[in-house]
Formats: sequence, structure tokens, C-alpha cells
Amino acid sequence: MNLEPVLRAEGITKRFPGVVALSGVTFDLAPGEIHALCGENGAGKSTLIKLLGGLHPHGSYEGELTVSGRPARFGSVADAEKAGIAVICQELALVPEMTAAENLFLGSEPTRLGLIDWDRVYAEAKALFERFGVRLDPRVRTSDLGTGQQQLIEILKALRKDSRVLILDEPTAALTETETAVLIGILKDLRARGISCVYISHRLEEVFALADRITVLRDGATVATLDRRATDIHAVICHMVGREIRDLFPRRASAPGRTLLRVSGLSAAAGGSTAAFLKGVSFEARAGEVLGFGGLMGAGRSELLMHLFGAWGRRLSGTVELLGLPLESVTPETALGRGLALVTEDRRRYGLVLEHPIGFNLSLSSLKKLGAGLLIDRRLEAEKNEEQARALRIKAAGLDVRVGGLSGGNQQKVVLGRVLMAEPSVIFLDEPTRGIDVGAKIEVYEIINSLTAAGKAVVLVSSELPELMGMSDRILMLHDGRIAGAFTKAEATQEGLLAAAMGHARN
Amino acid sequence: MDNKKLLRDLSPVIALALIWGVFAALSPHFLTPRNLSMLMIELSTTALLALGMFMIILTGHIDLSVGSGVGLIGGVASVLITQHGWPAPAALLLAFLAAMVLWTAMGSVVVKQKMPSFIITLGGLLVFKGLFWLVIRNSTVPVAPGGSWNLYSLLTTYYLPHAAGYAGAVLCAAGFCWPRVLAYRRAAGARDAAVRERSFLECFVIAQALFLFVLLMNRFRGVPLPVVILGVSAVAVSVLTRRTRFGRYLYAIGGNEEAAVMSGVPVSRVIIGAYAIMGAIVALTGFMQTAYSGASTTTVGELMELDAVAACVIGGTSLKGGRGTALGVLFGALIMASLLNGMTLLAVAPEFKFIARGLVLSLAVWLDTRLSRT
Repeated sequence: MNLEPVLRAEGITKRFPGVVALSGVTFDLAPGEIHALCGENGAGKSTLIKLLGGLHPHGSYEGELTVSGRPARFGSVADAEKAGIAVICQELALVPEMTAAENLFLGSEPTRLGLIDWDRVYAEAKALFERFGVRLDPRVRTSDLGTGQQQLIEILKALRKDSRVLILDEPTAALTETETAVLIGILKDLRARGISCVYISHRLEEVFALADRITVLRDGATVATLDRRATDIHAVICHMVGREIRDLFPRRASAPGRTLLRVSGLSAAAGGSTAAFLKGVSFEARAGEVLGFGGLMGAGRSELLMHLFGAWGRRLSGTVELLGLPLESVTPETALGRGLALVTEDRRRYGLVLEHPIGFNLSLSSLKKLGAGLLIDRRLEAEKNEEQARALRIKAAGLDVRVGGLSGGNQQKVVLGRVLMAEPSVIFLDEPTRGIDVGAKIEVYEIINSLTAAGKAVVLVSSELPELMGMSDRILMLHDGRIAGAFTKAEATQEGLLAAAMGHARN
Repeated sequence: MDNKKLLRDLSPVIALALIWGVFAALSPHFLTPRNLSMLMIELSTTALLALGMFMIILTGHIDLSVGSGVGLIGGVASVLITQHGWPAPAALLLAFLAAMVLWTAMGSVVVKQKMPSFIITLGGLLVFKGLFWLVIRNSTVPVAPGGSWNLYSLLTTYYLPHAAGYAGAVLCAAGFCWPRVLAYRRAAGARDAAVRERSFLECFVIAQALFLFVLLMNRFRGVPLPVVILGVSAVAVSVLTRRTRFGRYLYAIGGNEEAAVMSGVPVSRVIIGAYAIMGAIVALTGFMQTAYSGASTTTVGELMELDAVAACVIGGTSLKGGRGTALGVLFGALIMASLLNGMTLLAVAPEFKFIARGLVLSLAVWLDTRLSRT
């Protein structure tokens, strides 16, 4: 790679009031290269890509950007776009009610006599789709597309403006496995066409499947730039956290005790539908045990947990017993009261009241225990909150800090804290480490260990097989709403689990 | 940024001072005990209704039917007393219960049928208006038969004896200061002196303000009964929203309803509860507002829902739900009531009264959004 870099950042230092977000960061991107940016939350990845994309204008930072050897001084996002750099954010910027083509041309519609030239819009959109081998009807309404396809439209929108550099921030966070594979294929195809890509993802397996080079940021500084073929995941993680990590999945198994949750022959349908979505699911969760649930997206993992918690679907048949007593016509309120708790996969939507402080969120599920009658005992509440925040090592200036401003890992700890304060005996964890950094992941695993050590039953749903295999004592794989395979920790292999997830299991 | 936040929190106080300053300069009567006493009675109805609206808005819902409701519930009581010879307490009780039933039903429809509260209560606004006019047959129905007095008419014509006013002030001051004295003792040594100094200052200022208020009211006829009703309600709403589970849940639902459901908050019951309380408040306001005008006429309660919403918003309540305080709402109501009272005193034409109220509301919201930006 001795070509001139298409984009180069040298000695970049960016200060915010009170913090140095980046200090002396150096980063370069060769033509036709996929360069991954790794680092924990707060390491400075977002600041760097905002700077590259023109969101932090020239003059607000020290150091120099060059595009193909020429100094670049972006005053705005438009300047960066003109230089061929497009940033695709985690949150998609598409209008759901418009067609794919309308979104592609939003803001730069071709006109004739002052009216939008719709024929040209659709013709050009079709040509663009064909050029990149995307099989999509430009007239389809965007809200009818899957998240992965919407992501593609975002990328095509950038490519339409002749971008030479794509910057993708966590593009696969909301994609299914299939969609991720399609996206990776397209990025590789773009690489072959000479388009460069800065790729940010917490999923290191993905990074290793895609990237040519990997730059690791830590505390706002470049720690290392590694050639993918000359390194491995373990090395990248050590660079990210800045210390040797001996065990990524520190599961300490304890002897399983009595059965706390027993589900037999459970079938359930989505509200408004009569067709069973969950079909005859039976399992037991025992005290002191982590029961893992795997499966592809849409196999019914989250729906199963949500249904048992009283937040999804209609029961068609089957029985559920919690602590030996039947659990019927349950709502989240009664489930929590009975000792069953759920940490949902989408913590910002279902887990937290973002505009309110940490303390407000921590105690929300256990106010009935904090005071007699109607009144809340605020001193007791503060004590319990402090206790929980200390136990989970929630990092914040105080418990009156807004939850919305915390890092993903800390937000997840607040959700866990809220659930644990309700003192449940069975805890459902749906993708508890999604979107949080390695250090926080290990802390979540330690919390799981302490829960099982305290005799609670943990049901863990995870899309990441290494996590599922590393943290579960037993694993059940779901396929199309059915249990398609059961594994003990010793029996589980990636191949075996995947085969079961696809519905090809032998057992 | 902290300055901005401080400015946002203080802006209702500053606005109030400005409005009072302007009216005091333009009219020598504005700051007289007589006018202030009337202002307090007018404030009582506006603020009481706004406090009920506040709890609804906290959940992210709204109630547009309260203005018509005020007319209707007051009208039902008037008609029962004047045309059917019911004793006032019985008539008031029946009307009160009817209001609670109506509002509980409306809340249930909002929650169970998942209909937008804006539409349901807009329907309520029209239906209650029609019912009101049916009930009073488009005529004027006095709250007490010809020149006599009853519990209903006394609502806005009774003033506390001077001594009772002072006693009340002492009680209120003690009620306010006692928890602070306890906190002061607990904090002794442990916490910094600034906290203790502040709580002392708060006690001092509140006690002073209470005595000054009673002194002023006693220079006219005494503390008006509606002020007592408002005071009790305000304390109740403040405690309810800040100190109880119900209040916490109001904020949680408005902040993120889905998360509230998943956290085990009984969302439906809490929202229906907020509407039921609104019903009770509509009834109380209806009685006071009707008593203040002496009779049920077709215009009683008109547009009061908008004043209530305006008071909430000016007082810093977010229409999206989840943010606001009872104290802020009281200030918002005081601003709206002062504006109306002052303009009436200056004999401003009704056209301009509407325009001025609208402008103040827009200005307040604009300021709030400007200052909320960080």
C-alpha cells in the first residue's frame, strides 16, 4: 500500500470544554481500503469520524486533514461531501413514507421547468441500483423495506454523490445475519471498485471478516494500526482495553438447584394473528444456572421472553410455572411482582426513561418496596440507589445525572440495576451486551456470575455465539418458534449450534 | 450553560415581576388590597384547573374538555338547587360525583381504546358544551335562589376572619419549615454550611411571604375561601407528584411509556387515575367559577381549558410529558390570571385581551425552547 492515501489525518487534537476528546490522532486511508476503527465507548471514534465528515469544522481542532495529498479544510458537512467523503450514521436519515428513489434524491431532485422530473428520478435510481447489483424496486415505500435494505439506500445515496470515501458508524447494529452478509458483500464489491471505507463496529468478528487494516483508539489517542492478516481478535481487544484480558467469558458455573421456571408446550401468537409464532416450547430454568437461548433473528427468542414477561402476544396453549405456581394472564407489573424480570434488547426504547436521572430509573420497578402506603421514603430510596450503583459500578458524577447522557455500558448497568432492585428470582437477559464495549461486557458477565451464585436463574438470549457458548451452562437453539436443539456447555460447538439454528439439527 | 438553566427556571418569576411592574405603573388600582383580593380569587380557579391539567400533561396526554366541564358541572349544581330545590351540599356532592364518573370514563376510553386523548377530549368539549346548554336551557340559573346565600354561593364570597388568616399562616409556615428543621438537624456537621444556610433562608422567606399575604388580604376582607381551597389542592398535587408512587409513574409514563410498561408501572390505572382526579378538580373549579359569576350562564368556563394548558406550558411543563413542577404551574397560572386582571382593570378591549394572552403564551414557549437548548 504505497499509494497516496485518499484521506489522511495527522496529529489531530480536539478539545471540548473540560475534556480532550482526541490527542494527536493519526489515521490514514488508502484508496480501495477498508479500514476499521476500534475502541471502547468514549475512546474518540465518533469525534474522529465527525471531524472527517465535516461536522467539527476546520479551526475547531488542531492538526491537519489531507484529501489525496491536498490539505482539506472542511467548514461543513457539505464541504466534506464535495471532497467525496460521506458519513453514514447509526440512525438512518430516511423519510419512511417516501419511496426508495425519492429518498435517494431527497434535497437534490432533478427538475424541469421548476417541477420535479419524476421520470428522471426513477430512471436514474434504477440505473444506480443496477450498477451496484441491488435488486430493489425504486418505487417501493421505504418503510416497507427491512433495516438492511434501508441501510443500502443510505449507502447508495452517498455513492450517488460520487463519494470516494464512505464512513460507516455501526452499520450492522440493527441488521440480521443475512442482511449483514449482504452488506459485507457490497462493501467488498465497492472496495474492488476503488472506494475506500472507514468501518466502525463493536463486533470484532465482522471487523476481521472485512477490514484490511485496524486502527485502535483508546482515551482519544491512536494506540495501534494493525494489519488484519498479522493480528488477531485477542490482540485488538487488549489494545482496546489497555490491559491483558485473560478470560473474555469469565463464567463461574455453580451447581444448579431447584427448578424456578417451568414452561411446557407453550404456543403463542402475535396479537391480532391466529397462527402460532411460538410452537410447543418447553424448558426449565434452574436456580444457579445460566440457560442460553440462541437462534437466528426472527426465530422467536425475544418473543419468547417477552411473552413469558407478559409483554408480547397471546397464549394459545401450554403452561408456565414460576416458583411452583402457575403464571397466567401475566403483565409486566405482575411478572415483576412474582419475581420474574426482563432486560430487553432495546434499552433506550424499553428500558430507560432517558430524560430522567439515574436514581429515578433505578428505583422505578421497586417503588412499592420503598415506603409505606402512598408516600415514597426518599431517604430509603436514595440509600438503595446508592447501594445498587456501587454494586454495579455505575460510573457517573452522581445519581441525579440524566441517564440519556451515559455511555451504552453504563445505561445497560442502570437497566440491570433497576431490574435487580426488584429482587427477582428469574432474570431474562435479552442481548445484554449489545452495543457496549469490551470492558463493560466483562462487567455484565461478572454480574451474571454473582446472580447465579446468589441462587437466581438467568435466561440469556444472545446473537453472538462465542458469548452464548462462553456464558451459558446449557444452550437451547430456537428455529422458527420451536426448540431445534439442546446442548450442554461441553457439547456445544459453533457448527452444531448453527446447524440447529438453521433447523438442520440431529438431536 | 448553568446560567441558561437558571434563567429558564427563573423566567416565570421574571415575567411575573415585569407584568406586575407594568400594570402597577399604568393603574394605581392594580396593587390595592381590593384588586389583589379579586386577583387571588380569579387565580384560584385558573390555577386549580391548571394543576389538574398538569398531571394529565405529565403523562403526555391532554384534556381539552375541562372548560366545558366547568360550565356543565357548575350548571348541574345550579339547576338542582334553584329549579329542583335541592339543598346545596347534596347538589354539590352529586355534581362532584358525576364529574368523577365522566372523567374516569373518558380516561378509560383513552387508555383501553387507545384513542388519542386530543380527539376524545375534543369530543368531550363539544358534548359537554351541548349538555351544559341543555341543562340550563340557555338561560341564566343563579347559584342561590333570589338574594339568599348557601354553601354554593359562599364558595367565593366567604372570607376567613382575620385571626383565622394569621393562624393559617402560622400553620402553613410551620408545615413548611418543620421538615427543613429536621433536615437541618440531620445535616448538622455532616453537610456543608451552604445547604443549611439555604434551608434557613427558604424558611425565612416563605414565612415572611405568608404573613405579608395575610396582612394584605386582611386589609380588604380577609383571606378568600378559594385561596384556601387552592392552597390545600396545590400542596396535595405537589406532594402527589413529588413524593408518591403515583406521581413518579406520571413522570415515567410521560418520559417513556414503553419503558414504563416494561418496568412494571401500571400505566392504564395511573392514566385513568389522573383523569379521575381531573374530574374532581373540574367539579371544584366549576363550583368556584360559577359561584364567582353568581349564576350559570352559557359562557361560564369558556376557553378555560386553554388558560389551563397555557399556565402549564408557561410554568415549564413539557407538552410531550415527563417534565414540569406544580410550583411552576402555579406561577404560570398567576401570570395568566394577572394578565387578564390587569387588562380588565385598564379596560382593554376584549379583542386585544385575546391577542395579548396569545402572544404571551407563544413568547413563553419560544423562550423555553430557546433556553432548553444546550
